[in-house]
Order: sequence, then structure tokens, then C-alpha cells
Amino acid sequence: MNAALAIARSRSWRALNARLPLLLCVLALGIATGYPLAILFLQSVFPQILGGSLEGFLDAYRRIGETPDMLVLIRNSLAWAGATTVVAWLFGIPCGYLLARTNLPGKLWARLSLLVPIMTPPYIAALSYILVMQAGGFGDTLVGGLPEGLRAWFFSFWGVTLVMALSSFGYVALAVEATLSGIPRRFEDAATLLGASWGQTARRILLPLLLPAVFNSGLLVFLEALSNFGVPAVLGTRSNLPLLPAEIFYLVTSWPVDLALATSLSSLLCLFALFTLYGSRWLAGVLGAGEYRPGQASITPLSVGQRWLAWAFIGTLFVLSSVVPYAAMVLTSLAQTWGVGWPTLTLAHYTDIFTFGSRGLQALWTSLWLSITAATLCIAIGGYIAYVNVRASGWAQRFLDGLATLPRVIPKIVMAVALILAWNAPWVRIDIYNTVAMLLLAYVVIYITDALNYSNSTLRAMSVNLENAAAVLGASRFTIFTRVVLPRLKPALLAAWLTTFIVCMRELVASILLLPPGTDTTATFIFNQFEQGDLSVAMAMATVTIMLSTIVLVLFTLRRR
Amino acid sequence: MSYFLEARGLRKTFDGTTVLDDIDFRLERGECLVLLGPSGCGKTTLLNIIAGMLATDAGELHCDGDLLDAPARGLHQPMRERRFSMVFQDFSLWPHMSVADNVAFGLKVQGMARAERRRRVAEVLRQVQMEAFADRSPGNLSGGQQQRVSIARALAVRPRLLLLDEPLSALDARLREDLKVELGTLLRDTGVTAIYVTHDQSEAFSLASRIALMYQGRIEQIGAPEEIYRAPASAFAAGFLGVSNLMPYRRHNGGLRLGERTDIHWRLNGVPDEGQLMVRRESVWVSPSEAPANGCIALAGVCHRTNFLGDRHEAVVSVGEDGFTLRGFSDERVPEGTPVQVRFPAEAVHFLQR
Repeated sequence: MNAALAIARSRSWRALNARLPLLLCVLALGIATGYPLAILFLQSVFPQILGGSLEGFLDAYRRIGETPDMLVLIRNSLAWAGATTVVAWLFGIPCGYLLARTNLPGKLWARLSLLVPIMTPPYIAALSYILVMQAGGFGDTLVGGLPEGLRAWFFSFWGVTLVMALSSFGYVALAVEATLSGIPRRFEDAATLLGASWGQTARRILLPLLLPAVFNSGLLVFLEALSNFGVPAVLGTRSNLPLLPAEIFYLVTSWPVDLALATSLSSLLCLFALFTLYGSRWLAGVLGAGEYRPGQASITPLSVGQRWLAWAFIGTLFVLSSVVPYAAMVLTSLAQTWGVGWPTLTLAHYTDIFTFGSRGLQALWTSLWLSITAATLCIAIGGYIAYVNVRASGWAQRFLDGLATLPRVIPKIVMAVALILAWNAPWVRIDIYNTVAMLLLAYVVIYITDALNYSNSTLRAMSVNLENAAAVLGASRFTIFTRVVLPRLKPALLAAWLTTFIVCMRELVASILLLPPGTDTTATFIFNQFEQGDLSVAMAMATVTIMLSTIVLVLFTLRRR
Repeated sequence: MSYFLEARGLRKTFDGTTVLDDIDFRLERGECLVLLGPSGCGKTTLLNIIAGMLATDAGELHCDGDLLDAPARGLHQPMRERRFSMVFQDFSLWPHMSVADNVAFGLKVQGMARAERRRRVAEVLRQVQMEAFADRSPGNLSGGQQQRVSIARALAVRPRLLLLDEPLSALDARLREDLKVELGTLLRDTGVTAIYVTHDQSEAFSLASRIALMYQGRIEQIGAPEEIYRAPASAFAAGFLGVSNLMPYRRHNGGLRLGERTDIHWRLNGVPDEGQLMVRRESVWVSPSEAPANGCIALAGVCHRTNFLGDRHEAVVSVGEDGFTLRGFSDERVPEGTPVQVRFPAEAVHFLQR
């Protein structure tokens, strides 16, 4: 009897032991992501729950429904994100076509010109554009007076849309290029042989095959615009265009703090994001292009006139998305005096930043070690979770998979607010809130998706037999992971580290919400200095940050060769 | 006498390399011409020129009274106006359309009315035995099924000329065999004029009215399959089709001398002064015991090796003092190193000068 019990116990222990990694991962992600989001949602439904009361059920939502301003805000946010997507399509689709299907000379440069705006944080582009367009800005001093009509247009719905679209049309262009250059020319040849005209082939063959890429990249742009904090906060407020992320920020940070409204607006924002994601997946299924093996695409030769036209298009986009903001940024960072015409130049603002003990140097230092630590933690934890996720199955795995996808969709501001609620709650005994560690946690939670994604795709392509081969030879689970899996994952993890480092270096919204008073990261430093009118120092820091990220990127790329 | 399709002096150069040189051929209505050759011989380039995907650099291409290509006169009819259709090696079915929509595409482009279109699609799908799959998406079909749909798509428009670019080479061996037979029936039943590109001689033999054997950008020989097999015009033709034995010879002392030392008796009427003597493997009989010559050429040799082929053995024999290697058939396994007699009838011998 006792023996049977012992066997049963050891058997169940073995079963538990086998599932231990999966359960640990679920627990870790559950605490990191699931718990804060649950608190956020509960708080929005029961405004008094943190005080231990269930009173005021759905009050906040009722207030949103009854306040016309709130409805305008929501409508604005959706319309603005939609408009940004459409404009990004208008810019990006022709670029993608030119790159994939024509003999445009200098494609390498065209592609590089698309990468610059992708690499530029949108809030820095927005700040730079303010420097150009505002009264007394570069537009007035250097170009000699902007028409008031243009200025009014810029500081309005469409101006803000243009700035956001300029920083995100590159995604569309690259996605369209990738798809168009993979559609085999045989598909078009077959149609043409059967008598189809160019227009019929484009409409019946190319367009349906291209639509998924257009929708997917559009979804990315839409979600990015809907949840972006920097551009609405910097430019939206100056353009009388209140947008959800900025409004949530003010509800949390300015007096009177209205957590109930902030959390319910956050929940709505999440809902829109999730709805967009699943809606577009459903749409992609309906429009489904079907699977095909990519092949050699046909190339259309351009006439001389068409080449000029194409480069004029790409060049204009490059000037608007990169040259203008970067020129404004660098010029401001070097400007000593402001007035009419060319400013006097100085390096004083850079000296300010690099002076020992200055706030700028502290901010830079904080950002550097936070980003390096966060990126390292992300790939360590993310790589392991991805491994467990790919190799496991069952309900716990599906749950883990769902948890892991969440941060990809949840807007950063929402995640930041949720983390505040979760770790500032009365029952939390750990003193993490209001320390830099809180920000580190936020970075890891928000940006672990890159490590998860990159590792996932590598692991799925890797045969489980590689591990079985090691297991047959008697290797332990630990040995298999460190000696077989990790070396194969290394390139993916390095790429994830790089991406995470760069996005953390420029992270604005979580930093501004979670940093303890008196501490700055580069992004909050730029933001605060700009808001306080110290434009030159702000832009000097922006230049330093971007240069630092670029140097790291170039070093990595060179080393990989 | 006018032909349905006629090519004269077609030529194509890519970056200074001549891919096609001086291509001439004629094709009657309802015939199937097979372009056969090893990879890189230019057969696919020729097909693409006929289809109109590529323009020829020189020469003329006529079809049914129309001038399709004549670069000297600046003429090139675009492929969409040629009313040809094509079956591709990789099927190239449009993945976003159902089977029926794929087949209906060409008819829709022609502006055929809906009801008639539907009837025609059903009819062609029945011909390729795919009517049950009309609503499926091509991605869910096997390779063989996809190729049937692709054939249906090409036949639906009743093309003036059907072009097939190695349509069976992406399929596995068993399926290839089945579909080859069906395709032959289909081509015969529909009476469509076709040009078929392949590197597989068994496909060429079973489908071709005539074979154009291509090598290094030229048509090496063109003719009915039996004719090319029986009387190859060159060493390449002899070696590419079937298994042949080739030996250099010259006239010597009223007979023939093979190589440097082996002499045989031969009546020299009509035999070129020197060249290669060819005899097919199936005409060569190998036996360890000597038999009377009976009008056959008999040579002594030593067996190197035998390969069991299922219904008989192939014997590889080193013959005469020159040590030519000959391949022939034997009824039994011959141990290595056994002295053997090799015999072949005089009628089986063919003389080649190239």
C-alpha cells in the first residue's frame, strides 16, 4: 500500500517536474503582464476597488458616454489613426512598387532613405517640425516667412497626420516591396498569355496578392498611431487636437488625477487595438491570397522621364521625413542666438550635456544602463519563454502564447498606467514603485515582445530532433538548452538585443510616467527641456541619442559581416 | 504549301552568349512538336520566344498566316495578342482564385457570357477529371491535381497553340507516368497544336508527332520519334536517345577497321570513308558460348560487369585488342572476367559522320 502511494507520488512529481518550466513561465508573464492589465480593467469597472469597495460600477464608462468632449476625443483618435494609415499607404505603396518592380537606379539609396524615418523617434521628428513651422521658427527665419495658411494647416489635424505618416510610411513601403518582389512573374505571364491587358492583370492578379501586405502594414501603422504618445503630446496639444494617449497621460499626471476615467479610456484604447488586430486578421482570412512559393518577379523598365518622376517622389518624401527634421534638430542644437537669418553656431549645448555632474549626462547615463540591462534581461527571459512556448503544448501553452502576444498589441501608455496601478496598490509590500527599478520592469514587460518574436521564428524553424539527438546521448535539459538551443538562437537574440536597446534608449511614455522625481532618461530630458523652452539643449540631447543608437547599429552590422 | 507554324532563322543572344542559333522548323495543324534536349540547350528560350515573352534577335516566326515576329521589319506581336496558352513547370496557378476561377480567367478576359463560361469550365474540368474540385483552392491540391488544373486553364480558351514547359518534371515518377498517358490522349482528342518542352525522352517518344532534338542552341535533328531513334544524325543524337555503342572506324583493306587494330568484314557500298559506327545496346547480344555468326558481326571480348535489369542482364564488355567498351544484353549473369562473344546484325549498324 505504502509502496503504491510512493510510486504514485513519484509519478505525479515527475509529471509536475516536466511541466515546471511551462508553469514558471506562465507565472512570470502572468505577474508581469496579466496582473497589471487585470487590475487596470477592474479599476475601470469598479473605480473604488483599490480602496476595497465595489461601488460606482461602470461609473467612468457612463461618464464617457455622457460627455460630448470624450466622444469627440475617441472619434478624433480613431479618425487620426485612420488618416495616418491612409496617408502612409499613399506614400508607401508607390515607393514599394518602384523598389520591387522597376529598374529604378540607386535602389540602395532609396531603401536607406526609407530606413532613416523608421529609425527616428516620432516625437523627435514632431519636435523638429515644430521648430521649423512655429512662428519665428526656421521656416520664418531661413526661408523668409511662411504663409499663415500653411502654418495653420500644419498645426491642425492634417499636419499632425502628415508628421505621423512620414515617420511610419517606411513600414508600408518595405512590406509592399517584399511582397511585390516575391510574386512570381509566371502569375502575370499566365494571365497575359490568356489575353489579359495590363490593367486586368494588375486588378485581378497583382492587387489581390498584394492586399494582405497592404493590410498588415496598414494595421501596424494604425496601431502605432493609435497608441503613440509622443506625437499627440508634442504636436496634438499645440494643434488643438486632443488624442487618447495624451489625454490619458494628463488624467494620470495633472491635478485633479482621475484614475477611473484614465483606466476606462485605457481599456477602450486596448479594445480598439485588439479589435483592429482581430478584425484585420479576419479580413486577411476573407481576402486570403493563399499560399505560394515566392519567385522571380518581373521588372518594368522606366523611361528617363519616369525615372526623374520616381526620384522626385522618393526624394521629396526623404526631404520631408528626414532632411527637414534632422536639419532643424542639428541646427537648433548648434544655435547660439535666434533671430533673422542664419544663427551663430556654438558647441556649448553639447558641452553642457557632457559636463560632469550635469543633468544631461545623468540622463544619458541612466538611459544607457537601463537600456543595456533591459535589453539583456529581455533576451534572457524572452529567449527562454519562447523556447518553452514552442516546445510545449496544451492549455497552459495556449495561455502562455496569449499572454506573450498581449504587449504587442497593448499601447505602451496603457501598460505603463497598468503597472503604476499594480505596483502602487495597497497590498503590494515591495517598495518598487517610485524607483528606477520600476522603469526597468516596465521596459522588460513592454519590450520583451521583440525577443519573443525573434526567438519564436528561429525556434519554429529548428527541428526538435536536434534536441532529441542530444537527449539520446544523455544530455540533461540544462545542457540541451545551453549547448544546443542557445547557440542556434544566438543570431536572433543578438538582433533582438539590438532592437530592444535602441527602442529603450528613446522610450518616452513609460519613462515619463514611471521615473521617480529628479531622475531623467534621455527621452524625458528632451521632452522636459523642450517644454521648458530650452530648445537647443533638448535638440543637442536628441542628436546625441540618435547618433549613439546609429553607432551601436553600425557596429553590430559591421561585426556581423 | 503553307504550314500552321513556321520559324525561320531564329536567333537569340544574351550578353554576348548565343543561346539560340539559326532555328528553323515547321509545324502542321494538330501536330505536337517536342523540343527535347539537355538543360541549357535553349529549348525553354525557344518556347519563350514562340510565346512572345522574349523577342527573337533575328529571323521570322509565322503562325496561321500571321507574322508574329520579324525583327528585321521591327515586328513583334505582344504575347497577349497571340491567342496561345501555356502550361508551366511550376503550375503557376493563381493562389487567390478557386480552381474554377483559374480556369474561367481566360474566358472572362475574352468576354464570354457567364452561362457559356460556366459550361465551358465544367467541360474542360471534366476532360482533366477535376470537376469535383472546382471550388477548391489550388493550395489544397496535390502537384498532379494542380497540373491538371493548369492544363485545363490553358485548354479552356481553345488556344491556337498550346505551349507546355516541362509540365511533368515537378511531379514524382509514378504520377508522371500516369499523367503522360492522359496528356497524350487529351492532346489527340482536342486536336490542339502543341509545342512541348522536355528533357525526358520517354515523354518525347509518347507525345511527339515530331521531335526537335536540341543541343547547344541549335536543332540537332528534327523528325518523327522512330526516325530519330533509328537514324540519329549525330553522335549526340545517338547518345542522348536510348543507349548506344559508338566506335571510331575507317575503311581498310576492303573492310572496316574499328579503332587502330580491330578489323571486320563489310560491304562498303554507301559507307562513308571514316566516322563513327553506331549500334544500339538492344541489338548487341552477349554470350559466354560461341555460336555460328549467321550473318552477324561477331567479336571476341571479356565481360567486365553485368547489371540485372529485371527482365534481362546488361553486359558491359571490353572488345578486341583496342579494348572498346560495348554494352549489350545477355540472358544470364556472366561472371566478371569471362571471355564472351559479342554479336550484332549488320542491319543494326548505323554510320555517323558527326
